[in-house]
Amino acid sequence: MLEIRELTRRFGADTAVDRVSFEVPAGQMTGFVGANGAGKTTTMRMVMGVLGIDEGEVHWQGSPITRLDRRTFGYMPEERGLYPKQPILDQLVYVAQLKGMSRVEARRQVQELLERFGLGERTKDHLEKLSLGNQQRVQIIASVLPKPAALVLDEPFSGLDPLAVDSMVDLLREYTRDGIPVLFSSHQLDLVERLCDRLVVLAHGRRVAAGTVSELRGAGVPRFRLVLGGDAGWVRDQSGLDVLDLDGTTALVEVHTDGAEQHLIAEATRRGDVHEFVRVRPALSEIYREATA
Amino acid sequence: MSTHSDRTEGTEPAWVLVTRREVVSRITDKSFLLGTVLMVVLLVGFIGFSAWQDEKTETVTLGATPDAVAMASAIVDGAPEVDDQVKVTLVELDDDAAAEAALHEDEVDAWLHPVDGGWELTSESSEQDALTDVARTVVRQQVLADNAAGAGTTVEQLEAGSAVSTAFLRGDAEKAAVAEAVGFVFVFLFYFAALIFGMQLASSVIEEKQSRIVEIIAAAIPLRHLLAGKVLGNTALALIQLLVYLVVGLVGLSFTSYKSYVPALSGPTAWFIGFFLAGFIALACLWAVAGSLASRTEDLQATSTPLTMLMLVMFFGGLSLDGRSQVIASFIPPVSAVVMPKRILAGGVEWWEPLVALGLLAVFAAVTVAVGERLYRRALLQTGGRVGLRQAWSAAE
Repeated sequence: MLEIRELTRRFGADTAVDRVSFEVPAGQMTGFVGANGAGKTTTMRMVMGVLGIDEGEVHWQGSPITRLDRRTFGYMPEERGLYPKQPILDQLVYVAQLKGMSRVEARRQVQELLERFGLGERTKDHLEKLSLGNQQRVQIIASVLPKPAALVLDEPFSGLDPLAVDSMVDLLREYTRDGIPVLFSSHQLDLVERLCDRLVVLAHGRRVAAGTVSELRGAGVPRFRLVLGGDAGWVRDQSGLDVLDLDGTTALVEVHTDGAEQHLIAEATRRGDVHEFVRVRPALSEIYREATA
Repeated sequence: MSTHSDRTEGTEPAWVLVTRREVVSRITDKSFLLGTVLMVVLLVGFIGFSAWQDEKTETVTLGATPDAVAMASAIVDGAPEVDDQVKVTLVELDDDAAAEAALHEDEVDAWLHPVDGGWELTSESSEQDALTDVARTVVRQQVLADNAAGAGTTVEQLEAGSAVSTAFLRGDAEKAAVAEAVGFVFVFLFYFAALIFGMQLASSVIEEKQSRIVEIIAAAIPLRHLLAGKVLGNTALALIQLLVYLVVGLVGLSFTSYKSYVPALSGPTAWFIGFFLAGFIALACLWAVAGSLASRTEDLQATSTPLTMLMLVMFFGGLSLDGRSQVIASFIPPVSAVVMPKRILAGGVEWWEPLVALGLLAVFAAVTVAVGERLYRRALLQTGGRVGLRQAWSAAE
């Protein structure tokens, strides 16, 4: 498990990351979301030791993280390019060797991954000759070499077409199945919702929400939608709840007093037909908007 | 330098990997290879051309009307003594009109005839330099001898005690000229290599910084290893190129009339390689810093200005300093890297002087490596715009 404890980083008078804590449990995908400048990249760079830490600690498997631990991590920085004028096989082998693999083993693994991503025929091509999507694939391969102990990926899906997203997702799922913790940042909330077991929301350098997706969606004041056979105007007079929206026969209410929803449904059935009475869980995007507002 | 235990693990120290990548990626680069080959071709061509120039004899035909035949014959006979590369043949002509016609027809290159108070050498439009020199000397000797005889004396008596000969306390004139020329080549080679490879090093640092591959590398290995590998890789490349040029140059020289100097040049050349190595490493670290301070290739111009200034100072200092200032500069790093080899070439250097200068240069290199490493490490991971020197020095990592 990767633990981030009270991490803080200042740039001059500006506090880019302010006492941020969260966990990336083994075998789970943790999504890291937040607006531009919220501090996601700075946090990830501190985790990877690329940027100094002003305060706080990063723990790996229960003890403070070391350089050798980080060497086993897969990391994908925000902006990418690798070496534009070097054949992709050569530079991937180079990166793998820097991470401590032998040349022979590195070549074998790189070949295997290139083939898997449909680049087996292009091993001698210079990176700059590949399409952007293919360059991204090469970047992904660079970050998972050698088989990583943990993955820290900054915007891994940006610039990928849907097919490439799927093969990336498959690959990441393989790693989580093997018990590897994965932390990735993204702007694509639908993707995050689909993929992630857990979510950390950052705003202005602070953690504003964290938890599993269902925890986050279940948190907050419960909301219900009521659809009646007749006019729903009477709902306004009920106590213990706020009406958020009223449209003819449909009402959206927020319950502030425990049990108020039970009185509401009893009253509704007394008055006539009830077509629908349902708990409304906010979409991730709504939670995100509220948390970062 | 992988030890046995390294090999069993199958891994090598990070700096070795970086060095190898620098060398291999550059040496397989077409523009680098092409540049080196072109330079060698130019070098061989230049040496070949000068050798051919040295060897060839110029044959000129000199026309003379009957009143000038005696003098012209004297020139033909005297020519080899004055300039062994000029061979003069005599063509006898009937009169002035025939002479002018012969000039027009290119049957003769020049026409010698007496004029008031002397002689004139007429050619069609281009000056016959070699012939003119020969003619002047021979005519002067001849006329002087005639005049002396007329005055009842001899040329030897007239010239007695008037000779000014030159002597050098060390070496001779030709040797000094060769030393000067080779010294220029040393200064030029150093300047050329330090600038080309320095720029290359700086832009490869920017490339890594800009593409953020440096973050992947920084997460995997200490940045010290990255810097060491880049500096060593580029030093190795510069050294290989330098050795190629020097070997081609010296071998080429041995085919020319200067071949007797080749053995004497090998000592100073060996010193030069030593000074080149220390000087280049010192400057390479600074070039790496210049690269790390920039955030885009466009910034390099600005961040490398102090360095390019330093290079110019070294270049012109190396070329123009002499006397006491040259002696002083030959101990001051990094200028000593070019000035001391020049002094060694000229001769008259005490045995300990190059050692002291090289020692000082090595100390200077150690300082720039230490300072450069700190600046490089701190500036490299700063993103967003150019980094100031002071900012880089004091930045938190």
